[in-house]
Amino acid sequence: MSYNKPIPPKGTHTMPFWEGTKAGKLTLPRCVDCNRVHWYPRHICPHCHSMNLEWIEASGRGSIHTFAVQYMAYGGWAQEIPFVTAFIDLHEGDRMLTVLRGVDPKKPEEIRVGAQVQVEFEKADDDTFIPFWRPVDSQKAGS
Amino acid sequence: MPSPLYKAAAIVGAAEANQIGFLETPITSLQLHIEAIKNVCDQTGIPISRIDGVFSTGWSTELCEHLGIKPKYIDTTAVGGCSFEMHVHHALAAIYSGIIEVAVISHGENGHSQRKIGNGGAGNYARGGGTQSPSHEMSVAYGLAGAASGYAHAMVRHMHRYGTKREDYAHIAKVSRDWATLNPRAAMYSKKKHPFGGPITVQQVEESRLIAWPLTILHCCMVTDHGGAVLVCSPRVARSLRTKPVWIAGAGEAMGHGNMLEMEDFTATSARQSAEAAYTMAGMGPADMEMAMVYDSFTITAAITMEMLGLAKPGEGHLFWKDGRAAPGGSFPVNTNGGGLSFNHSGMYGMPLLIEAYRQLSGTAEDGVHGDPGKQTRARTCVVNGTGGSLSTTGTLVLIADD
Repeated sequence: MSYNKPIPPKGTHTMPFWEGTKAGKLTLPRCVDCNRVHWYPRHICPHCHSMNLEWIEASGRGSIHTFAVQYMAYGGWAQEIPFVTAFIDLHEGDRMLTVLRGVDPKKPEEIRVGAQVQVEFEKADDDTFIPFWRPVDSQKAGS
Repeated sequence: MPSPLYKAAAIVGAAEANQIGFLETPITSLQLHIEAIKNVCDQTGIPISRIDGVFSTGWSTELCEHLGIKPKYIDTTAVGGCSFEMHVHHALAAIYSGIIEVAVISHGENGHSQRKIGNGGAGNYARGGGTQSPSHEMSVAYGLAGAASGYAHAMVRHMHRYGTKREDYAHIAKVSRDWATLNPRAAMYSKKKHPFGGPITVQQVEESRLIAWPLTILHCCMVTDHGGAVLVCSPRVARSLRTKPVWIAGAGEAMGHGNMLEMEDFTATSARQSAEAAYTMAGMGPADMEMAMVYDSFTITAAITMEMLGLAKPGEGHLFWKDGRAAPGGSFPVNTNGGGLSFNHSGMYGMPLLIEAYRQLSGTAEDGVHGDPGKQTRARTCVVNGTGGSLSTTGTLVLIADD
């Protein structure tokens, strides 16, 4: 079945990210001047306001900062309710939104803030591989 | 005699984006904005981080978030091509009044490129949701739908940090309904007015259907029709009218982020900063407040806001409702109209907050439509806080009754 959920429009400065996900890699924007990573991708470093930015390959590791279980959604996502959205604290810094894989939406009390997660990618179309995250193992670490 | 605003501010630099004209490689409006701001700051030597007022035709939240700045004055006046001259006017007043020192007025509009790639940003009411803004690009895949889907994440983090339970917040919904039953204008005034109206229990709030766990539908505001207006006048005019004035003692505004991706602390909002500004302007503090009107888009919004306003310790905002202080007859009335949870909420709830605060402090809270000894309180001071976007922007007012 073809991918039936929203496919992100590609920006004018985010192609390195999408090329990375296509190759199974998570890349993040980093400021060459202050060395800090930021997410989402900017035209300017939000920390030091340098425009000298580069893309680095990230570890694909992170932890759950917070989450919620969605019971109302539209389009393709409506067919998947309930599903678990989460904000992921990236190992390299800053935070990414995702839908968690490998968790039971009916048992939110078993999902732990602080649990370690790993990125994976799902093909949406030939040019778009979307990052999703999954707890590293079934033993979900507390924070 | 010149106005006190005469020479009260000056334009100190002017610059454009790196490339303008018929660009071969399409560019977004957002990038045009960012380049121009970078360039004018480089030109003047004023660091971007010193900008404390941002003026644009609807773009201000997205620009600030993209730049990582949190200004004290946020203007998005968008009335066409003359907007920027108006921005200068507004900036002059803001600077003269001492609220800000460095205002940026920014423009970015890819009139040519948008034929190929669209606008590239939010453009109008902007909270980082434009079809090609990078925050949208990196959020749209994940199925969030509506405010509840985002706010639920804040509630989970708040519960995690402070060990609170969802039931703690359910009291907010229950007490709001208690107030609504005293207010015939409230959508949920009674069962006669609405099938789901009238009093509710904490258990009912807990057991109502899930929207975005942990938020059940009764933890969420309604979506109604609402219209309202207030008048603000000079003291001279205010004293000449047959209506009672309610004085604006303090005002402040702040933002934390636009997209929740950039919400640093999911248990806090910029109401802490906007309240501090308002209290400072008023020369008053939380201890001087006798009631509050706080934005209750969701129960969690109201709880966090009480903490940000300095009325409760972090993690204890919900206790105002749980222990009855905020309830009818309580020592510190909150959301006396019934709130967005039970009075009205049309999408943007800031106006009902203002109207009820005026009514309470002018002694007209019964509003001529209610016969019982209803929701009028004895409060002489009120802190009003509005929250916009995804726990993003806040405005705080300190209002006081006339002597």
